[in-house]
Amino acid sequence: MTGFVDLYTEGDTVLHRMDPRVKIFAVLMLTLLILMISSLVHLLILLAFIALLVALGRAPFSKVSLALRFVLRVMIMIVILWPIFDPSGTPVLATLGPVRITEPGVMRGITNAVRICCLATVWYVLMFTTPQRDLVRALVKLGVRFDFGLTLSIALRFLPTFSATVESIKDAQRARGMEFDKGSPLRRSRNYISVLIPTIISALRTADTLSLALQSRAYGARRHRTYLRELKMRASDGVALAVVVAAFVMPAVAKFFLKVPV
Amino acid sequence: MDPGIALSLRDVRFRHRNAKGWALDDVSLQVRRGQFVSVLGANGAGKSTLCMLVNGLVPHTVPGDLEGVVEVFGADVAEDSVAKLSSRVGMVFQEPESQLFCMTVEEEVAFGPENLGVPADEIKGRVEWALELVGMAGYNDRSPFSLSGGQKQRVAIAAALSMRPDILVLDEPAYALDPIGRVELYKVLRELKEKHGMTVLLAERDAEEASLYSDHIVLMENGKVAAQGPPKEVLADPERLVSLGISPPQMSEVASLLRSRLRSPDIDFTRVEDAERTIIERVLPAGRGAAR
Ligand SMILES: Nc1ncnc2c1ncn2[C@@H]1O[C@H](COP(=O)(O)OP(=O)(O)OP(=O)(O)O)[C@@H](O)[C@H]1O
Ligand SMILES: [Mg+2]
Repeated sequence: MTGFVDLYTEGDTVLHRMDPRVKIFAVLMLTLLILMISSLVHLLILLAFIALLVALGRAPFSKVSLALRFVLRVMIMIVILWPIFDPSGTPVLATLGPVRITEPGVMRGITNAVRICCLATVWYVLMFTTPQRDLVRALVKLGVRFDFGLTLSIALRFLPTFSATVESIKDAQRARGMEFDKGSPLRRSRNYISVLIPTIISALRTADTLSLALQSRAYGARRHRTYLRELKMRASDGVALAVVVAAFVMPAVAKFFLKVPV
Repeated sequence: MDPGIALSLRDVRFRHRNAKGWALDDVSLQVRRGQFVSVLGANGAGKSTLCMLVNGLVPHTVPGDLEGVVEVFGADVAEDSVAKLSSRVGMVFQEPESQLFCMTVEEEVAFGPENLGVPADEIKGRVEWALELVGMAGYNDRSPFSLSGGQKQRVAIAAALSMRPDILVLDEPAYALDPIGRVELYKVLRELKEKHGMTVLLAERDAEEASLYSDHIVLMENGKVAAQGPPKEVLADPERLVSLGISPPQMSEVASLLRSRLRSPDIDFTRVEDAERTIIERVLPAGRGAAR
């Protein structure tokens, strides 16, 4: 429950200027592509391309390393566990009682670890280069109702507020002699309840004022509201869209129609 | 209907649903256009209930029994919707944290006019104007969460002003602020009054700034109006204020002290300069006399 980090960093790169709708669409296409490709070599090429996007978006090193640390942990878990639970094929590399490790199993573990890395990185590129308000704005433009968009953006906006509340309640409980990292699991979960309840009460109180504040600012006054900042598609967005579609369609055709393994 | 009257309450009583007592009990008051009126009272005196009555949150959203007449620019609050009233009545709440809900300051200030369907070009102008007025120009892309308490409250004021309200209602806006935040906030309110002639209704439990800026002051106790009138009259007796749970202005405390020490009931001031003059003219000679 440490402080919440907004991955977005302001910038003026090609990726920052791209319409968030195009970015969301591109990320979805790339996600499908990553799930479709099964060759490790092709995945590695794709990963190199995605790494290029990260560089293009000029994400600061601190945020990239924060993101990578998390991805790396998941990758290591997959590489270790996958061969144990998926031992089909030959040759067998090792047997340890009922556990059998095979070479194809190890390969599949590595491939899937790289795949997860690709998936995570693609979404990180979106997060690194798109402010949350633009993501929400894009969703509303793509047909999500404004109420839902607003709810989502309020939820995102209040994450840091609530993590700050939790921290200050924990501090208050610690000052009364409560120790969060000691004692039996039962004791510990009881300690957490003493944080949970004040947090919920504080959240409810915030929600109460919030709804009064929303109404006081004419929320729902008219059926059609206007927007200060409209999203605009530009020629460069069209190009990006074409590139992404081509990048998805070509391997798809190769795989499903020409039966070329990709 | 007198067009010079912004807000008028006549024999108003309000009881919250499921509450035993009246939160407002027989309250009558008037705010004229361009006036700065302060409502002073302790915990539970009914300040918030009164503020929310002005933009219709009471009784439309916060339910209960309402008696008497509340008119905002001649329109009966009970018959209008909050959404409709909110474009005429700007509202600023006590807690800085929970009344700002957007990702950036700019969106926050644009939110009201967007809901009212104001064209984008005009919203842009209003946002710049409002942020400039509260001293937050250039903060457009900052997250409200990252601001200090005083800055948050000023953004909340800008967010209300961008709807171009005819009256601004502030419910203990300085409650959660440190002394610096408080000074910054009142600087903005003073400018609103003096340069823009904004009509203001302010709820407070500390009479310090209210004593300087108000044209009219209402003292409340347990939902009732304990006294109302010009600041000089209403705030003259600091002990009375303390008994009502209100922090008296420091200058009036000094004046009251001098009155009783020098046994001169005519001593009266609210500004530091007047206090200085009184002390030079009357306290120092008296002291010299005593020393001789
Ligand atoms: N939602 C509610 N339901 C029931 N009773 C309420 C509600 N809100 C306020 N009251 C009661 O109405 C009375 C006036 O409350 P109000 O909040 O208007 O006072 P206040 O002067 O703003 O006080 P504070 O300094 O606490 O903000 C109090 O007795 C309070 O308990
Ligand atoms: Mg209150």
